[in-house]
Amino acid sequence: MFDRVALGIVGTAIVTFLLGWTTLFDRTSPDTAVAGLSLFALFGVAFLLAGAGLIAAGIASNVGLFKTTADQYTGLGTGVAFGVVGFATGGLVTTILFGVGATGSALAGLVVALIVTLGIAVLPEDIGTTLPVGLLALVWGVLLAAGFVDVGWVWDPPSLAATFHAPIVVPLVTIALSLLVAWSGAIVAEGFGSQGRQNGAYLMIGLNAFGMIAVLLLLILFVVRKGLPTLLEGAQFGPGLSISVPFLTKGVMLGQQYNGIFPAIVGTVWLVVGAVVLAIPMGIGAAVFLTEYAEQGRFTAVIETATNALWSTPSIVYGLFGYAFLVPRFGNRNSLLAGMMVLGFMLLPLVVITSREAIKSVPDEYRDASAALGVNQWQTIRSVVLPAAMPGVVTGVILGVGRIAGETAPILLVTSGAPFPARAPSILGSFRFTATPPFVQNEALLQASSALPYQLYAVITAGVGQEEAFGWGTALVLLLVVLGFYAIGIASRIYFRRKLHQ
Amino acid sequence: MSTTELHQQVRERFGVETTDDRVLALGAAGALCLLVSAITFLIGSPFTALPFAGFLFTVAYGLYEYQAATAKALSFLATIGTGTILALITFYLLVEALPAIRLMGAEMFTSTSEPMWRTRGEEMYSLVPMMWGTLVTTVLAMLIAGPLGVAGALFISEIAPDAVREVVKPAVETLAGIPSIVYGFIGFTILNDYMMESLELPTSGSLVIVGLVVGLMSLPTVVSVAEDAIASVPESMKSGSLALGTTDWQTIKSITIPASFSGVSAAVLLGVGRAIGETMAATVILGHAQRLPDPLYDVFGNTETLTSLIASQYGVASGTHMSALFAAGVVLFVSVTVLSIGSQYIERRMKHQLQGES
Repeated sequence: MFDRVALGIVGTAIVTFLLGWTTLFDRTSPDTAVAGLSLFALFGVAFLLAGAGLIAAGIASNVGLFKTTADQYTGLGTGVAFGVVGFATGGLVTTILFGVGATGSALAGLVVALIVTLGIAVLPEDIGTTLPVGLLALVWGVLLAAGFVDVGWVWDPPSLAATFHAPIVVPLVTIALSLLVAWSGAIVAEGFGSQGRQNGAYLMIGLNAFGMIAVLLLLILFVVRKGLPTLLEGAQFGPGLSISVPFLTKGVMLGQQYNGIFPAIVGTVWLVVGAVVLAIPMGIGAAVFLTEYAEQGRFTAVIETATNALWSTPSIVYGLFGYAFLVPRFGNRNSLLAGMMVLGFMLLPLVVITSREAIKSVPDEYRDASAALGVNQWQTIRSVVLPAAMPGVVTGVILGVGRIAGETAPILLVTSGAPFPARAPSILGSFRFTATPPFVQNEALLQASSALPYQLYAVITAGVGQEEAFGWGTALVLLLVVLGFYAIGIASRIYFRRKLHQ
Repeated sequence: MSTTELHQQVRERFGVETTDDRVLALGAAGALCLLVSAITFLIGSPFTALPFAGFLFTVAYGLYEYQAATAKALSFLATIGTGTILALITFYLLVEALPAIRLMGAEMFTSTSEPMWRTRGEEMYSLVPMMWGTLVTTVLAMLIAGPLGVAGALFISEIAPDAVREVVKPAVETLAGIPSIVYGFIGFTILNDYMMESLELPTSGSLVIVGLVVGLMSLPTVVSVAEDAIASVPESMKSGSLALGTTDWQTIKSITIPASFSGVSAAVLLGVGRAIGETMAATVILGHAQRLPDPLYDVFGNTETLTSLIASQYGVASGTHMSALFAAGVVLFVSVTVLSIGSQYIERRMKHQLQGES
């Protein structure tokens, strides 16, 4: 009986939690009527039931109707957690009811928080974990069920630019309260005590993890659903292997049936290739020197700190640096080469860090065994250390490439040109050799180019409008490219780790 | 100076063991070529290619004739290069920012009198609104990514069954890769409209959306770094607690979280750094108003962040205006570097402690 009530409460709370989200995103309408009750009134009834159930369970346990393992006191930890809830509730309620300013409501919230914290901390555990939640649920249930807060409810705070309408406020409060009710119900279900608290905490953490993954996956699905029609527009999958996807193979031209993002794709590919060519030899070289040659001391510590600082430097700062340092030296205009170098600089610290980790994890026995054969240090590094470290290095590089392929800010400052180019830069075709310095010229490298992330930014600055579908298509391709790199990198890491542990 | 002395000097200075004069000469030639090409590049001379070709030739010959010594020298050069890039970034940011800082003095970082940002006529550059905008969005983002991220890390590392962990962990790491411009695009097309419609916001874009989006964006990073920290707590410490008859949750609360506290805070600091430096989402979502929201805590208002200021104005800026944008870059760079060094310090201390205790 006791268990069933508790499980019923948790179940109800999870249902209202999910319905809260669907209502917030307009998937269920507040006007939906079930058995003559509007959705909000239904929430109200659910909270009334859950609240009453919680309070009843708490009292039943406290007077000894059911045998539970409740502690004598609720404890300060739970008290403080409720204090935070009390602060939010007290502050909001005083603002909404009495219209006091920020300072007033903050003070009121603090007073409520203090009382709630101390009050709950000294209550017996079975009362302290159920009564406050139950009361909150009852109040909210009455407000909704009796229609004090209905679809037309509005709160317009004088000091904020926003106006809060019921269709947003009700789901939000419902979601928050549902979490509290579920937590309390989970504690009741295990009969309080340390087991009950574990149950409550695990439920909250599990719901959170589930919610996080769900939101991020939904984001991806959303982009796929919006972008797929554009990507496949005019696409033909002929007999055999003749596939034509104009969105991926055409530029933007007047009088063309289907416009596409081919120049941006080529731009991104060249940027990545350039960055990799610059960063990988340098990064691996530095990692080898720091781990194999240099004595661990002040010099290595300084370089290590510098590498980490480089890694966390914001991309826009790299962009500014490229703008001030590289652009004037490459003919004072945006160029593909400057973009390659800036992205290479961004990739470099990551290559150094992951390569160092990989080289460090090569066991010393390998080095000793090689040295015992009488070869010098460089031969050991070349034929033993580097091959053994290669999987780790490769993984790090792939992840880094994924990161820079989606980077927009630096490209904006040093590479971007016409937002919707018709033609892709032809790097291979424009090498020229001359008799005077600098001997090798490549017009295409010194010209501005587009890239996938920049193309998306261009859609936004163009005001979206007509181009929105084009933007979603670009976003999908960008997402596929970047997540593809990440998936390959992570999969190869898992594969090599498994192989190592065998 | 005799050759033996020279060799000794070289050994002491650069750690290069050599007794062969030809190797030394070759190294000197290569270093000279590289130095000259660096200088010609810095002054923007078209003759950069000449000394650089000389350097390449030296390297090629060295690799052919004295592979070990050349490889070592090259790896040393790569190390120096990495440090040089940081030095160059610092130098160029500061030099470019100097005119604006000289014009405004300390007022650039303190002045709150209107107008705070005027690029024409009597120029006025105060970074206060942008610093405030960055602070507000970062705090909002961390209110989301901090607790949720740490809870997610606990779930993956301590609570989830093995089968779930093997799916969720790589999934979260992959999700860390979603480019910020994609988040920005979603925020711009979907969230901005939604907020304007449902909350009757007077303008498109607000700090709260940026905070929300950036928080969601840094969530996977915080999760995976915090997870690494939590997983590095030695198993022996946990078993010791469990052997006393505690529940798993009690062990997590009183052993695992305190022991990994510094690592977890390093993860959150890393997330803060990401949030501060996040550019594209803020740029496309915000409405670019270079003034403080009124009242200050109006998170539904429009202001500007340091990053979005640079990205939205670099195209029309020149002279002191451009220099003021570089000053914004300096503020960003300094605050993120301080955070990075702080989190490294915390991490090192944690490693030290755990090794001492286990």
